[in-house]
Formats: sequence, C-alpha cells, structure tokens
Amino acid sequence: MDQFAQQLVNGLTLGSLYALIAVGYTVVYGIVQLINFAHGEIFMIGAFGALSTWLIFFGGETALWTLPIMLVGAIAASVLTAVTMERIAYRPLRNAPRLAPLITAIGISIFLQEAVRLGFNDPTLFLSNWNPLDFPSAKQKVPFPQIDVVTGQAFTLGGVTIQRSALFTIGCLVMCAAGLWYFVNRTKTGRGMQAVSQDPDTARLMGINVDRIIMVAFAVGATLAAVAGVAQGLQVTNINFKMGFLAGLKAFTAAVLGGIGNVWGAVVGGLTLGIVEAMAVQFIPGTFGGSPWKDVWAFALLIIVLVFRPQGLLGAKVVDRA
Amino acid sequence: MSSSRTENLAAAHGGKAPMVAIAGGALLILSGLLSWSYDDRILDDISVRFFPIGIQIYAMGLGLVAVALGVLLMRRPAWLDPGKGLRILGIASIVFVLGTLIAIAKQAGGVVNANEGLYVALAGAVLATAGGFLSPEVHIDVRKWPRLNSNVEILIIVLAMALLLFTLAYTLNIEDGAVFGVFLVAVIGIVGGLLGSGLGAYFGFMGGNNRRPLMLAAFLVAFLFPFTQNGSDENMSIATQILVFAATALGLNIVVGLAGLLDLGYIAFLGTGAYVAAMMSTSAFATIGWKPPFLVVMLIGACTAAVFGLIIGSPTLRVSGDYLAIVTLGFGEIFRLAMFNLDGNNGPDLTNGPNGIPAIPDLVFFGFDFGEVHSIAGIPLGRFSNYYFLLLALIAFVILVFTRLNDSRIGRGWVAIREDERAAEAMGVNTFGLKILAFAVGAFLAGLAGTIKAHVDTSVSPDQYIFLESAFLLAAVVLGGMGTVLGVLVGATILKLLPEKLREVNDYRLLMFGLLLVVMMRFRPEGLIASKRRQLEFHEDDEELSELLQAEHLQEAK
Repeated sequence: MDQFAQQLVNGLTLGSLYALIAVGYTVVYGIVQLINFAHGEIFMIGAFGALSTWLIFFGGETALWTLPIMLVGAIAASVLTAVTMERIAYRPLRNAPRLAPLITAIGISIFLQEAVRLGFNDPTLFLSNWNPLDFPSAKQKVPFPQIDVVTGQAFTLGGVTIQRSALFTIGCLVMCAAGLWYFVNRTKTGRGMQAVSQDPDTARLMGINVDRIIMVAFAVGATLAAVAGVAQGLQVTNINFKMGFLAGLKAFTAAVLGGIGNVWGAVVGGLTLGIVEAMAVQFIPGTFGGSPWKDVWAFALLIIVLVFRPQGLLGAKVVDRA
Repeated sequence: MSSSRTENLAAAHGGKAPMVAIAGGALLILSGLLSWSYDDRILDDISVRFFPIGIQIYAMGLGLVAVALGVLLMRRPAWLDPGKGLRILGIASIVFVLGTLIAIAKQAGGVVNANEGLYVALAGAVLATAGGFLSPEVHIDVRKWPRLNSNVEILIIVLAMALLLFTLAYTLNIEDGAVFGVFLVAVIGIVGGLLGSGLGAYFGFMGGNNRRPLMLAAFLVAFLFPFTQNGSDENMSIATQILVFAATALGLNIVVGLAGLLDLGYIAFLGTGAYVAAMMSTSAFATIGWKPPFLVVMLIGACTAAVFGLIIGSPTLRVSGDYLAIVTLGFGEIFRLAMFNLDGNNGPDLTNGPNGIPAIPDLVFFGFDFGEVHSIAGIPLGRFSNYYFLLLALIAFVILVFTRLNDSRIGRGWVAIREDERAAEAMGVNTFGLKILAFAVGAFLAGLAGTIKAHVDTSVSPDQYIFLESAFLLAAVVLGGMGTVLGVLVGATILKLLPEKLREVNDYRLLMFGLLLVVMMRFRPEGLIASKRRQLEFHEDDEELSELLQAEHLQEAK
C-alpha cells in the first residue's frame, strides 16, 4: 500500500509537470489547429530563462524571495520566444497546407535547442568567446539553483516520502489551473479565445482581433511551460538543452490523452499519464517493467488511446479537422 | 512600391542592361587573370597573375555565363528571361566574392591581404547584378520553345550528364573547406543563372520528351563515378552514405510526398532493417542463430519493417494527419528505447543494448567479396565502391517502384488523398487502404535499405536512429522537392555532402539546418526542384504560374 501511495505521489508530480506543458499544446491547437512542435523548447527556454535571471541578479543567493523573480524571468523568456516564433514563422503560413507549419515547427525546435546550446555561455555567439556574465556552458548539464524552502529535506507521511519540490510542482499546477480558469471564463480576452476556437471567421466578424488572440494563446501556453521549466529545474537539480524534446513529446501525449483542444483535458491527461508512468515502473512485472521501459509504456498508451478513443478522455473540441 | 520603382528604372535604362551585364561578365573574366591575394599559402595559391586556378577559374566561369546571358538579353528570345538569370547569377557572384574576401581575411589575417583581382571581380559581380535589375520584365512564352531533332536533344542530355559527372568528381576532390564553400556558391550562381532564365523549364521539357535516354545516362554517370576516384575510398565512403540516405529518403517521399502523410519516425524502419540484418549476420555478437543467405535476410528485414509500419499505421491512419506525425515520432522513440533496452537485463537479449552489434562482416555474393579490392580495367575499386554498386542497384529499384506507383492508379489515389481526403473518399477512393499501403511500401523500402546499411557501416547501435535522423530525412524530401525523384536525390546529396566538406562550421551545422527548414517553408515550400502540381498547391492564387503550366502541358501533348 505504501508503495502504491508513493507511486501515486510520484505520478502526480510527474503528471503536474506534463499537465503544465500540455496546456500549451492544447490551447494553440484549439485555436489554430497547429501542433506547435517547438513547445517543448519553450519549456526548456523557461528553465534557462530562470537560471539566467538567477545568475545575473543574485548568483549564490538561495533565499525563497528569489523564486518569484526567477519565475518572472522564466515567463519573460518563454513568452518572448513563443510570441516571436508565432509572429515570424507561423503567421505567414497560416493558410499554407498543413505540412508546412509542422515542418517549420521542427525547424524551430532544432534551431532553439542549438541556439541555447551554442549561445548560452557565449552571448556574442559567432564573434568571440567573450563572456561577461560568466555563464556556464550549456553544452553539458547545467546545475539549477536550489532555492531554500522548496528544496531540501523531504517530508515523510507514514512511509511515503514527499519531496518539497514535488509539492511545489503540484502547487504550481493548482495555481495555474485556477488562474487559467479565471482567464478563460471571466476575462474578455479569455472569452475571445473561446470564440475564436469555436469559429474564427464569425469571431472576426464580431470584432475580435484574431491575430491578437492567437498571440495570446501562444503566450498563455508559454507562461505555463515556463513555470513547468522552473519546477523541473528544482526537481531534477539540473537542466540541459535537450530536456524539451522528451518532455514536449510526453506532454503532447497527455494533451491527446485528455482530448486535444480541451484545456481541462490537458490537465486530466497530464495527471493520468504521470500516474500511469509511475505505476508502470512499479507494477509491471518481469523484465519489461522498471524505469528503462517507462517511456515506451507512455507512448504505447498514446497509441492505445488513439485506437479506442481518438477524441481523448474528456473529448476533444476538434476531431479530425485535417 | 519598390517593384514599380524597379520597373521605372528598367523602362528608363532597359536598353543599357545588356551592355552593363556584358561589362560585368568581362570584368569577372578579367579578374581570373589577376592576383586575388598577396598571401600565396592560402586557398591553393591565388596570388599569381595570368595563371588562373581554383577560385580564379570559378570567377571566370561566372563571367562567361554573365556575358552569355547579356548577349541573350540583347537578342531577346521570347521563351527566355535572361534578366532573372542575371539577377540570380549576380547576387551569387557578389556572395562568392565576399565569401572569398572573408576566407582571405580569416586565413591570412586581415582584409589587406586581398589583391586587385578580388576588387575587379566584385565590381564585375555588382555590374552583372545591376544588369539583371535593369533588364525589362519578360513574360516567358513556352509556346516559342524551339523544337530540336530528338538526336540533338539526346546529345545535349548526354553532354549535360557528362558535365555532371565531371563536376561531381571535381567537387568531391576539393580538400579545402573554404574553397569548397565558394565553389558551391559559384555553382549555384552558374547553374541558377542558366536555369533561372527559363532554360530550366525547357530542359525539364526536353527531359520529359526523352525520359529513357535521360534515365540511362543518369545511371551511366552514377555507375562511372567510382572510376574517377583512382581507387581512393575516401570519397566513395561519403558516396555510399549519400546513397543509403537517398534511398531511404525516396521511400519517405512515397509516404510524405505522394500520399501526404507526415512520418516523423521513419528512421525506425531503416533501423529495423539494419538490426534484422545485424542479428542474422555472422558477426560474433549476432543474437540470432539462423544465418540465411543475404537475399533472404533482405526480404525478412524489409518485411519486418513493413509489418511494423502496418502495426503503427493502422490505428493512426484512421484519425487526423497531425496525430500520425506525433504517433510516428513516438514510435521512433519506442524503437530507439527498445533497441537500447533489449540487452538481456531488461527483456530478452536481442540487440546488446547501448553497445549495439559491432563487427558485422562484409557481404559475399556468389564468391564476390565486398570487402576486397577488385580491379576493373586497371582501376582498383575498394570496399566502398563495391557497396556503392550494390546501393546503386537498390536505388534503381526504389526509383522504379516510386515512378511506377506514381504513374499508376494508386499514385493518382494518393495525390487525390493528399489534396483533399474527403473529396477523394467521396469519389470512391479507398482512402484508408491506400494510406496504409503508402505507409507499408515506405517502410518496406526503408527496411531494404537498412539491411545493406548494416553491412556498409559494419555495426548498428541505437544512437544511429535518433529523431534528428528522421528530421534529416524529412528535410531531404522537403528541401529537394516533395514528390519528385530528382529533388530528393539533390536534397539528400546536399544534406550529406555539406557536413562532410564544411567541417569548419560543424558546430553550427544543426543551427543552420533548423533555420534552413524554417526559411524553406516560408519562401519555397515546394522545394528546390518542385513537381509542377505541388508547386500549384502551394501557390494557389498565382495565375501566371498556372497559365505557364497549362501552356507547358499543351506543348508536351504536341
């Protein structure tokens, strides 16, 4: 029983991370029917944004008050990247055949990874190795600052170990979900988003600035991904330029699992995927269990869902628009 | 606004355009006879006057084409637009000269090392560009295409192919990375200038009239290529890599280019074939005891890949195309992870885990050992040359499958599905069956290529089959031109050859690759060598293009 509870906690932590990233896929997909393949990179850039903020403003300081500022830095970096990407790369392709934006997304994904790998400790990139901020090289794993209170001694609750960072991750998801609910249902822009996702042409006739709404969708996704990036950094204690690929893929799986286009589906799907993965590690018997196979089980789940319930757990808003 | 200004400029000075272009070309030719650099140790010594070498010769080549285009501009044939060619050539020439300047500055330490020849060339390049922008706008009239005797046409094709062979052999033998880079720009300028002026469409038309001689000549060139290497295996190793890559990309082109299904895990099918071949080889590390002859292994590998294709395709092809992209991506990861994990500790021992299966022996066909050096007509042909011929046969097979399918009912069905699935279904096309067929055929061909790849590389390991490789395959298809054979061959060659030769910028390779994908999709989504139908798909409202295509169809029908 303890094992089960332990894996449940692990699964919820992992799932919260997936859910935070998955919202970005689903919000964008719901509005422009585009799989923003580069969203995993937005998550990675969030983590690096937080690290940069910390290195620039308070290198060495680990007090709790630095965390909100790091979060702001992370969100700024992610949102800026996402909005620029939308403006430069995706907008011109909005009416192109579907293959074009997807390939663009792959290109952006590779470009962003490499830009971080090459440019992080070398802001002047192609000119020299001048490094005024003394950033560490991002070509290997970079240690992420361990902030007091949210890291350190784990809590134990009757045989179940709960890391502080796990609580932080779950807490982030709860707060972001609440904020997102308020934004989507209670603000003018949020309602605009709903309208555009239902029918972009009519929404435009009703005076909604569709271009702006799309940009907002990218920004909302990027905000949540940035938070996830910080949570991931605190949890794993290091970050690297490749972390966005697998996380992005899993989060997309979560979005499909919950029903792509459906924001709450992304949250439910993320938590489900996290729990399934954690349970698979513990409870699948024989040599195919254990952590080496957990990613395989996650993708297998994706395929199974597509066979039996392609609209996802909560039902997608848009199915088969292709 | 700016275009109208250019038009005004062209109207006012259009008459001078040919003279300006010819002057520019003459300056470029002259620059070849002058000294480009004070430093005689760099870029194969371009410091000597009246003895053109390397870069100087390339400049003269650019100049000759500029003069030719200038003369054409004066004669004004209705089926050519030399002005457009001049613009491409001129801009490439400027890039060429500036690139040389950067190389000189970097290698010799400063811009001061550049000598008069370079500045003369720069002036020539600018003049040629100006000629291009001054020349009047021309609407190409394909009805005026000259009709040549078919023997003459075949002769032209053979000559073009011979030139291609020479250029390929020359290109691969350039050792210096910087020289290679500027050579490439010069080739882009010369070829782009000629083809861009309308000759490209005409050549395509000519090739269409003589399909068989063209294919024969192309394969003859490919076949003769190893004989130009004097027994050196270095370039042949690159060439075999290109062939494996191209064969796989052609298979992917059936899936992506013809049927319009985006497969992001295609490398897994290549890997399946390679692993099957490795496990059934006589390597000491092989994990399957049964050792059938290689032809049987090839079939088993290809069929295994096709079965995987069916397994992965059948659930996802029922839902939207986007899901397919991600599921195939997931499948690619599952494949890599499974190969990584199946080492005996986690599941059965099939693949030796991260170490892979090394020491795969060379193939032996009926006593012909691929590992040994054979001599034909006194020219020694090494190990990679042997595999090169085998891969050439493979690629011929793949091209055959591709073109035959493309011209068949099945191919029409695929195109219909790609353009509008619902309409196709309403017209009675069996969309699901055809999609799954595309997927299985693609997987089969990749598996086939994989079995040979295992023996060429002599080892298989999971890190050869990462997502990035799938992205590279996709890029070869997209870059070259979706749905065309020639385009994919060009794309595959570019993507494999450049990293081999441009080792100076190796660290920025992926950065540029990502950027290239984005830029291509933005400005030329149909690829370098586009199929006509595809081009129209991407530029639906371009009436001029559709008129041009219609006229071309009429010409071809005659």
